[in-house]
Amino acid sequence: MAGQPTAGDPDGTDAPRSRGWLASPAERERRLEEIGTEPDPRFSWANERTFLAWNRTALALIAAGLAAAQFLHLSPHGLRLIVAVPLIVLGGVLALASYVHWEDSERAIRLQQPLHYSWMPRVLTGGIVIIALCGGILAIVDRIVH
Amino acid sequence: MTPAPQFDPGLARDRTALAWTRSALSMLAIGTLIARAAIEAALDGVAVIAAIATLALALVTWRHGNALYRERAVDSGQPHHQPGALGFLMSVTLLIAVVALVVTLVL
Repeated sequence: MAGQPTAGDPDGTDAPRSRGWLASPAERERRLEEIGTEPDPRFSWANERTFLAWNRTALALIAAGLAAAQFLHLSPHGLRLIVAVPLIVLGGVLALASYVHWEDSERAIRLQQPLHYSWMPRVLTGGIVIIALCGGILAIVDRIVH
Repeated sequence: MTPAPQFDPGLARDRTALAWTRSALSMLAIGTLIARAAIEAALDGVAVIAAIATLALALVTWRHGNALYRERAVDSGQPHHQPGALGFLMSVTLLIAVVALVVTLVL
């Protein structure tokens, strides 16, 4: 997934990374600090803010899912899950992915390597489009049937 | 006394601290929604626990941003280390997603 394209891996940084999948986040982040050189803190802060923004996006999606579950009135009642569950799952996936992406970017910054693009914007856009279509169709059908 | 800062951090740290504050506020909002959903699902115990837990987690998140902001007075341009803070937020968000999913399915 993210981070693999750096073919050479001259600093052997992939080794601690692949061992670290089961390590606690604190341990992973401590290991990250040993890689490469200390960057301009502004870059780390910008990376951190990007993570926080993605995290809030994830929280907003979860909130939207909870709201859909509580405030959508479709019959049969279970139909609202078609909108609510994908929103919450998308939020969970993005929460995890944004952390992996933050790690990947932080590593690239510390090694002075190019940053990688993330698949998150595509998944977010695609997810919202599909969920919005589902919601719209459900609303129209519900209106026609009842 | 203190060595001249290697970099001028400008307001980058302030922006980051404010981003943490916004994250804490988002967490509060979601706590309200989970508690409301739990009450609707007749899970009053879950509602109380969810409300207290998200309040505590939002407080921790807010305090982290605040600490970041106060660091500004202590140094400028020094590396900024906080192992585990981002992973903590990620874990909390995943937990919230799981709880939200369960409450939604029970509802």
